[in-house]
Amino acid sequence: MKWNNRIVRTMAIAAAGGLVLTGCGAEEEPTGGEPGTDASSEVEIAFIPGVIGDEFYITMECGIQEAAEAAGATVNVQGPRQFDPTLQKPIIDSVVASQPDILLVAPTDVTAMQAPLEAAAEAGTKVVLVDTTVEDPSFAVSRIASDNIGGGAAAFEAIKEQNPKGGQVLVVGLTPGISTTDARTEGFAKAAEADSDFEYLGVEYSDNDPAQAAQIVTAALQANPDIVGIFAVNLFAAEGTATGVRQAGASEDVTVVGFDAGPAQVQQLEEGIVQALIAQEPRTIGQLGVEQGLAALNDETVKEEIQTGFTIITQENLDGEEGDAAYQSSC
Amino acid sequence: MPTPILEVRGLSRMFGHVQALDNADFDISAGEVVALIGDNGAGKSTLVKALSGNLATDSGQILFDGNPIELTSPAQASKLGIETVHQDLALAPHLDPVQNMYLGREIMQDGLAGALGFMKTKVMREKSRVAFDELGATVKSLTSPVGSMSGGQRQAVAIARAISWADRVVFLDEPTAALGVRQTANVLETIRRVGDKGVAVVFISHSMPHVMEVADRVQVMRLGTRVATVKASETSMEELVGLMTGANTKGGAA
Amino acid sequence: MSDSEMPGEDRVRVAEPAENPDIPERHQSRVGSLLRAQAFQILLVLIVIVIIFSALAPDTFGTLSNTRLIVQNASILAVLGVGMTFVIITAGIDLSIGSVLVFSGAVAALVMREIGGEGWGTATIGIIVSILSGMAWGIINGVLIAKAKVPPLIVTLGTLGMALGFALILTGGIDIREAPSVLVGVVGYGNIIGGIPVLSVIALVVIIIGIIVLRFTKFGRYTYAIGSSEDAARRVGVKVDRHLIQVYALTGALAGLAGILSLAQFSTTAIGGQSQTNLNVIAAVVIGGTSLFGGIGTIFGTVVGLFIPAVLQNGFVIIGVQPFWQQVAVGAVLIGAVYVDQTRRAATQRGGKSNSLGRKLVGGNRSQGKN
Repeated sequence: MKWNNRIVRTMAIAAAGGLVLTGCGAEEEPTGGEPGTDASSEVEIAFIPGVIGDEFYITMECGIQEAAEAAGATVNVQGPRQFDPTLQKPIIDSVVASQPDILLVAPTDVTAMQAPLEAAAEAGTKVVLVDTTVEDPSFAVSRIASDNIGGGAAAFEAIKEQNPKGGQVLVVGLTPGISTTDARTEGFAKAAEADSDFEYLGVEYSDNDPAQAAQIVTAALQANPDIVGIFAVNLFAAEGTATGVRQAGASEDVTVVGFDAGPAQVQQLEEGIVQALIAQEPRTIGQLGVEQGLAALNDETVKEEIQTGFTIITQENLDGEEGDAAYQSSC
Repeated sequence: MPTPILEVRGLSRMFGHVQALDNADFDISAGEVVALIGDNGAGKSTLVKALSGNLATDSGQILFDGNPIELTSPAQASKLGIETVHQDLALAPHLDPVQNMYLGREIMQDGLAGALGFMKTKVMREKSRVAFDELGATVKSLTSPVGSMSGGQRQAVAIARAISWADRVVFLDEPTAALGVRQTANVLETIRRVGDKGVAVVFISHSMPHVMEVADRVQVMRLGTRVATVKASETSMEELVGLMTGANTKGGAA
Repeated sequence: MSDSEMPGEDRVRVAEPAENPDIPERHQSRVGSLLRAQAFQILLVLIVIVIIFSALAPDTFGTLSNTRLIVQNASILAVLGVGMTFVIITAGIDLSIGSVLVFSGAVAALVMREIGGEGWGTATIGIIVSILSGMAWGIINGVLIAKAKVPPLIVTLGTLGMALGFALILTGGIDIREAPSVLVGVVGYGNIIGGIPVLSVIALVVIIIGIIVLRFTKFGRYTYAIGSSEDAARRVGVKVDRHLIQVYALTGALAGLAGILSLAQFSTTAIGGQSQTNLNVIAAVVIGGTSLFGGIGTIFGTVVGLFIPAVLQNGFVIIGVQPFWQQVAVGAVLIGAVYVDQTRRAATQRGGKSNSLGRKLVGGNRSQGKN
C-alpha cells in the first residue's frame, strides 16, 4: 500500500535523522584530556542548571568547563527550558541513568528534587549542589552558593545610599520555594524592617518572567507612588523591573537594584535605568563545584558548605575591577 | 377518506427578509408516495426541515394523525415515526455503516453490561445486513468507514437507516441526485416497496421522469406555498413544469 | 439485481469522487484495525528509536533501571493523555489540564493539611477531593463549550489562567510541601512486584479502562460520532451537549487524579510547574495518530506518542546531545505525525465538509443550532 510505504520512508528518515543529530549533538562535549587517554578513565561531569539560556548559569558553565578541561574531564550539560521542577525531574533521571562520576546541579525546587537527587547519590554519583539547594542536602558531598542573605542586605544598603531620607521599598521576587531567591528576599526584608525610615511593602512574585515583572512593577507604582526603591531578586526579574519602571516613567524617582549582572542588566546599568547590580560569582561557584566533586571522587577532604561572595557593580565602577564580575552569555 | 398521517396548514417561516414558507399546506396519508416538486427556492427543503423537527416555524399548524403537534427536535420526530434523509445524508464519515445505522439507537447488552455501555455489536451488524439486503443496496463492507465509500453506497446507507426506523413517514430529499442508473432504479423500487408497507413516503425530486414513475400524488410548491396537488395518473410532465414555473395556474390547492 | 454493482457505474457520474486507490476496500477490515494499523506504525517508529539509542549507549540507555525511570516519568502524562484523547477525538481541545492538575493538587494538599494525619484515611480524602476539583473545572469547560458555544481553544485557555490563579489565591503563592507519608511512600515512590512503580500501575489501569470505554462502549462510540460529524450526531438524536460536558468532565477528573499523583511524586504542590504539560500531552496525542479534526484516534496511540518524546529526551540526555537539538527532534516527529494524519484523512473523509485547520481549532464544528 502506498500509504504504508510513506510510513516506512518516514521511519527511515527519522532513524537516519536521529543518527545525524546524535552525531551533531555529541560533538558539543569538549574533551579536555590528552590524546591517547583511555576514555573510560576520563572523569565524566554532568551539569544540570536550573534553566537553560540564563547567563548566570552560562557563566557557571564557563567556570565548570575551565576546571574540567584543566582536570581532563568531560562535561555534559543538560537542563530544562524553563525553571520548572516537572521539567527538570525527567532530565535528572536521564542524567543519573548515564552514570556520570560527578553531578553538579541547581535544583529547581527544595522538596521536589530531594528524592531524585538522593537516588543519584545512592547510585554512586558525587552530587554537588550549586546555587540552589534542597530540604535535606546531607546526601550531597558539597553545596556551594552565594551568601544570598548578605546579598539581599547589600541590596538594601545600595537603595538606602541613594535615598537617605527613606521611603517605601518593594521586592520583585521569582517564585516562592527557591532557596536562593527566598534568602535574598529574607536578607533585604530584615534590613529594611530594621530601618525605621523605610517601609517594606513586601514581595511580589514574577514567575521568572520579565514580562510579568514589568506588569507587577507598573501596577505597584500606580498603587504606591511613594516607592523609592525596588529590589529585583534575579536576572529576569531585574530585566522586567527596569522595563516596568521605565514604562511608568519613574526612572528619576525609583532606585532599582538588581541581583545578577547579565549583559542586558549591565546595559541597563550603563543607561542609568538600573542603579546598582549585585553580582554573584557563578564562575567561581562552577570551578569550586568541580574542585569539590573531584576531591570527593579521589577521597580527599571535601568542604561541605561554601559560600561565595558578591560584587556591587555601579555605573561608576563598571569599567574597573568590579566590572569583571558581569556574566557571560557564552564561554 | 382516512385521516392523513401528516397535515400541514398555513405554515410560514421567514429567514431575514426572505419568506421561505408562505402559508404552505401539505398532506400525506399512510402508504402514499408523494413527490414534492418545485423550482429552486420554492421552499421544498425548508418544508421538509420543518416537518422533520429541524426547523421552527413562525406560524401555522401541523397535525399528526389529526392531532396538532409541535415538532421541536429530530429526536421527537423520530419517536413519532418520522425519519428523514437530508441532502447531505447526515452520516458520520468515520463510522461504519452499522454504527451509522444504529447511531442514537444502539442495542445495549442486558443487565449491568448494558448499563455500563456495552452494546450488542453482532446483533446490530446482522440486522443491518438484513436491512441493506432488503433495500437491494450493495454495501461492500460493513466495517469500513462510510466516508471512504462511494456516494451511491453512502446514499444507500442513509436511506436504509431512515427506512428501517421509520414507522409512519419517510422524507427523502433528492434521493437520486448523485446516483447512477442502476442505483436510481433500486431507490425508486425501494420507495414503492416502502409505500406498499404502509409507510408514507415524501420525496423531493427535480427529475420529472422519476416523479411520474413512482409517485401516487404530486404536490407542487412555488414561492413558499403549495400551488397544486394532483394525482400522478391525472397529470403530465408538461403540466407539472408549468405549475412549477407559474405558467400554469390550474388549481388543486386545498 | 443487487449483488454486484458494475465498477463502470461509478465513473459515469461526474459529481462522484473516485474511490481512493490507496485504500482498496478489500484491505480495509474494521475501522478498529485501520486505527490500530496507524498506531502500530507509530509503535514501529518508537521501536526504531529505542534500538538506535540502545546501540549508541548500551550500558546506560538500554538498562532496566533507565526504562523504569522513563515509564515512571511518563505515567502522570499518560493519565492526562487518556482524557485528552477523548477530547481531541471530539474535535475539541483542552489547554487547561496543567493548571487543573496544579489546582487539584493544591486543594487536596490544603485539605489534607487541615485534617492532619499521615495515614490512608487522610490520603483517601485527599484523592477524592483532588479528583472532584478536577472534575469541577472539567464541567465548567464542558458547559461553556457545549451550551455557551464558545470554542474549546478559547474556553480552556481561559480556565488555564483561572485554575492557576485560584491555586495561587488559595495557597498564597506558597507551595505546600507536606503530604501524608503513605501517599508519598506508596503511591509516589512505592513499587509492586518486580520493581514496577505503583504510579505506573495506576496509569496502566487508567489506560486500560480508557481503551475499553473508548472502543467498546456507547460512550466511546458517541465520542467518535460527535468528532466525525457533530451535525449528523445531533440529527439522529444523540445528546451532543450532554456528551461533550461528560467528556470534558472526564478529562478534568483525570487531571485531578494526576494532581494528587504529582503531589505524591514531588511531595510538593509545585505550583510553578506543569508549564509545558498541556502542549506535551497534546503533542503526544497527535503523534499517536489521533486527528485534531476529530473522529479518529486511539489511546494506545497516545501512549506510544507519549513515549516517543520521552525516550528521545532521555536518549539525547544520556548520549550528551545539546538540549536544543532535542526540541528540534521532537518538533520534527510531531510535524511528521500531523502530515501522516493529513494523508490518512484525505483517504477516509471524502465527501465530508471541507474543514480548514483554522476553522476547526477556533470554531470547532459547533453547529449554531437548527437552521
